Amino acid sequence: MLEETQSSAAAVGAPAHAPPTVRVREVSMDFGTGSKAVDRASFDLSLGRFLTILGPSGSGKTTLLRMIAGFQRPTSGHILIGGKPVDAVPPDRRSIGMVFQKLALFPHMTAAENIAFPLKMRRFDPAFIPTRVRRFLELVRLDGYGNRRIHELSGGQQQRIAIARALVFEPALLLLDEPLAALDRKLREEMQLEFRRIQKELGVTTINVTHDQREALVVSDEIIIMDGGFIHQHASPALMYRSPADEFVARFIGVSSLIEGTATVGGLMLAGVTLAGSLSGSLQPGMAARGVVRAEQVRIARPEVSLAGCETVLLGTIADVIFEGERLLYVVEVPALSQNILVYHHDPESAAVFATDAPVSLGWRARDMIVFEARP
Amino acid sequence: MPPSIKARYPLTWRVMDALEWLADRLWPRSMSRHTGWLLIAPSLIIVGSLVVGMIEIADTSLRTLDTATFRMSESYSLANYQKLATSDVYLTVAWRSLLGAVLTTALTLILAFPYAYIMVRTRSAAARKALLICLFLPFFIGQVVRAYGWLIILGNDGIINQATGLIGLDPHRFLFNFPAVVFGLVQYMLPFAVLMLAPALTAIPEEVETAAKSLGASWPRTMRHVVLPMARPGLIGAGLVVLTLSLTDFAMPAMLGGGSQDFIANAIYDQFFRTSDAGLGAALTLLLVMGGTFLVGVVLSVFGAGTLAAGRRA
Repeated sequence: MLEETQSSAAAVGAPAHAPPTVRVREVSMDFGTGSKAVDRASFDLSLGRFLTILGPSGSGKTTLLRMIAGFQRPTSGHILIGGKPVDAVPPDRRSIGMVFQKLALFPHMTAAENIAFPLKMRRFDPAFIPTRVRRFLELVRLDGYGNRRIHELSGGQQQRIAIARALVFEPALLLLDEPLAALDRKLREEMQLEFRRIQKELGVTTINVTHDQREALVVSDEIIIMDGGFIHQHASPALMYRSPADEFVARFIGVSSLIEGTATVGGLMLAGVTLAGSLSGSLQPGMAARGVVRAEQVRIARPEVSLAGCETVLLGTIADVIFEGERLLYVVEVPALSQNILVYHHDPESAAVFATDAPVSLGWRARDMIVFEARP
Repeated sequence: MPPSIKARYPLTWRVMDALEWLADRLWPRSMSRHTGWLLIAPSLIIVGSLVVGMIEIADTSLRTLDTATFRMSESYSLANYQKLATSDVYLTVAWRSLLGAVLTTALTLILAFPYAYIMVRTRSAAARKALLICLFLPFFIGQVVRAYGWLIILGNDGIINQATGLIGLDPHRFLFNFPAVVFGLVQYMLPFAVLMLAPALTAIPEEVETAAKSLGASWPRTMRHVVLPMARPGLIGAGLVVLTLSLTDFAMPAMLGGGSQDFIANAIYDQFFRTSDAGLGAALTLLLVMGGTFLVGVVLSVFGAGTLAAGRRA
């Protein structure tokens, strides 16, 4: 709980005495395709924090990252790194380490030569390069692999070399451009924790770009959710999960059911039924609205069991049961809503497992369904 | 509704079925593991006939021409090779061919690399198409017509000398010297080199260059430390093709050299078709083949086979 309050506080604003390492001010990018790739994005990131920019493909997250790296110049707005504007600084003069989607390791060099490359290009003292390279090979747990060619390394080892190469010159900022996207799930999860460990060990400020919500929740101190070039929310993972700022965020993170209706005092009204929920933001009763309820916050029981504490109780029939290993996902048909509601059931070994076509009752508390203004 | 029973496969499918049936009769399935040999047999026969020709040439090179009867001698001797070894003329021709080929290769690669790089990397589809068209245009014109074009442009009474004459300069002799031949060869070889380099450069992901930049390498250093080393197989492949083609070239020395800048191929032509000394011509031919093979061997052992290694890792 303490952890959560800390991170949400930092996400809102850094302490006054430490200027943010990265400051993005009203940055826009217009490729001239009609809509802006990035639309007036602003955020601050303090020293040593791990930020993930999360969004579907085409959300503008990679464009924003490339502007911070200096490969693209914003149409308008400013970017400050370490308190200095970098708008006129080319990428090779910025103190930024970057790990690329396809890693972009140099195949004609050994692993150690790859790591030494930025040191040589940045004219570090040649006498000190071998020691530094060895230290970073150890950091990524590949000591002894320095003389291997890139094609002699496994996918995970290549990831580690790429991150060592991006960090060896001790940049002010580390950028990760979806480097884990191509890995299989097991390796990806292992590398997520590895990135986290290395980032904590060096304390380097990091911006990660991904479309994988799980990765964002696992690795980050802070998350920014982007869509259509627009920043929807900037918050800690826990805060983002519990209090999504709008319908897009609520749908993008977690598994939820969406219910269309009209906002009413204390919930959502549709076809004569009123569902208990909490209205978000500026939503006024009578406006077209959508209720979002997370699959794990819906309680499920046999029809005769009363669901104490649930303001909303509905009857339904199990339409499908999906086994996900550590949990079950029920698809429950609810005639009163003429739609299906998704329900997670943890502990699939327990006796209270429902079969398809079983009648059930569903319930949730008013605070577990957030009602958002319906956007087209 | 289910499809009609009378529905038939398209004609092309039925033709393919018939061809497969025929192929099965002509070349039974049990022979299928030899199919690879069957497919390369025609090429092997064509290349093999070259070997037969080479043996014939080797035989001829050991016979001398009897100037009284204009027939080749019945007996073998090394007289033709002795003549070549002791003659200043042929030494000069061989040296000129070699120097010309090496210079042409170097100049062509220097010019072809930026051309191929820009063609591969440009974001404008129109620019890429224009560069490709400029590349293929000379292929449609042919070597002799192109060389003749240079005569019109660079000749003593050519376009350039007419233009400089207007501002009072005396005509300059551009043609019939060594630089003119090298110039013509470079112009002839450029498309070959670009076509060999382009796939090698396409194989270098643009992200690698972006990465080099983010790691602190300026544009020239990215070229020097990343792009050039990664393009090496393409440079070697293109270099070998240009080197062998210009070493054995005939038309450019003949037309732009005006008889004063003969390469070995011109000397061979003279022996076979002017003085009719087939023995000496054959000896020159063998020398050219062996010299070229030796040169290619040196390049291969120093630099590796490049893209010509056909998929093997360098």
